[in-house]
Amino acid sequence: MNRNKRIAFIYLALFVAACALCAPAHFTLAAQADRGAATSTTASSGSPAAVPPFHTTHAAPAGSLDIRIPLRDKSVRFAVIGDSGTGERAQYEVAQQMEAYWQATKFDFVIMLGDNIYGGHSPRDFARKFEQPYKVLLDSGVKFYASLGNHDDPNAERLYKPFNMNGERYYAFRKGEVAFFALDSNYMDPNQLNWLDQNLKNSQGTWKICFFHHPLYNDGRHHGSDVDLRTQVLPLFERYGVNAVFSGHEHVYQRIKPEDNIYYFVLGNSGKLMTHDFGSPDERVKGFDSDQSFMLVEISGDKLYFQTISRTGETIDSGELERNTATHTH
Amino acid sequence: MRFRGCLMWVSAGLLLLLLSASSVAQKPDDTAAIKDFQARISRYLALQKQQGLPNQSTSSPGKLAEQEQQRAEKTRQARAAARQGDIFAPEIAAYFKRQIASTMRGPDGARIRASLRHAEPLPNVQLKVNAKYPAEMPLQSTPPTLLMNLPHLPRELQYRIVGSTLVLYDVPSGLIVDLIPDAVPAS
Repeated sequence: MNRNKRIAFIYLALFVAACALCAPAHFTLAAQADRGAATSTTASSGSPAAVPPFHTTHAAPAGSLDIRIPLRDKSVRFAVIGDSGTGERAQYEVAQQMEAYWQATKFDFVIMLGDNIYGGHSPRDFARKFEQPYKVLLDSGVKFYASLGNHDDPNAERLYKPFNMNGERYYAFRKGEVAFFALDSNYMDPNQLNWLDQNLKNSQGTWKICFFHHPLYNDGRHHGSDVDLRTQVLPLFERYGVNAVFSGHEHVYQRIKPEDNIYYFVLGNSGKLMTHDFGSPDERVKGFDSDQSFMLVEISGDKLYFQTISRTGETIDSGELERNTATHTH
Repeated sequence: MRFRGCLMWVSAGLLLLLLSASSVAQKPDDTAAIKDFQARISRYLALQKQQGLPNQSTSSPGKLAEQEQQRAEKTRQARAAARQGDIFAPEIAAYFKRQIASTMRGPDGARIRASLRHAEPLPNVQLKVNAKYPAEMPLQSTPPTLLMNLPHLPRELQYRIVGSTLVLYDVPSGLIVDLIPDAVPAS
């Protein structure tokens, strides 16, 4: 009997010890599940329960951020991401940096340079590759304006309200004195060229900014410049005074030498990355191909300020550019 | 001697005349092929309109997927007997092949080829008429100069290139309406 009692006591002790060991894990899982429930998407009613696949702790607190844009009153402030929609850890880490910088700069919206959702386009893909990584920004009212890349579904994405495309492959919108033109460089047919001609001609924006997926100038070895696209759109950009162009597709960051008074940026590494991708520096002033990144842009008066920030929070490029009106005529 | 020289010049002139006449004679054939193509496209769109298919903006990816699936299924059912060549009938396909080849042989050819090369070219995969475009496969961009040389399409439809195949792609339903294999010359 005594022996049995002793065995029962040992079993009881072992059980209590096991419970004690498991308890923190239980609490952690419960906390994560709560957090997952709290982060279920607002944009999607049909999405599966959203549990963020990656928790990262890279982003610095707002007070310690290196902010190089001037944060002027009444300026137009936005972020830029390209080739972002992988659903992988790096995309989430870039998104966390964006959150931290949004806390400090309160940029108003984000432009997306295509390849917004890689692979499938199921509700789960939209959740994992867009709604979850940018949840904090979306919940805070930051708008996303998408352009289409070659990995995007042109029908689903143009109809997806959080991408603000109003059901169109290409569209324009205005923020203060800045006119934005989101183009579909996958399919630059005569209809779109006519639309671009008319809309650039009639635009009253002091600044005119075009964004689309395929870069007109590009030092990356993987894709290179799209010369045929350039032949068709550049005459319009020059004729109607486009000031800046943002593209993705090549999975690196590049600031291109200004051509005909137009500033070009290539940012295709907000999710994807092509390391050691650069050829000879024919087109670029600055390049970054060793990590993911995003951009902050502020436009105030005749100045465009920019800052490119890596996945780990390092500023890899920054500066200010003057709007050149010398050769721009209507 | 002089007479023989004259004869040579006259023969050369006649030959030139014949050649230009044959190229002029080709125009009406192309016009007929283009007209026929446009009529077939109109019939396809009318058929779709009859189905009253939804295609509305929404914040729900689930609804988007449902809409697309519904469109694809109804269109597929309405064209249950669809086969390769229903839109790209032999004369139309021949016209497209000629048009693409001549555009790519022309002064813009090198640029178009470079554009295709830089746009993540797709391999030649087995595609089926009236089937969905493979979900995981990207859509290669179609060079703008090539698009300028092909007949105009309504906004619901697009020309896409997969390997050397020209695909007529229905954007709202993600269906392959028709295709022309070996439409894009290798070099």
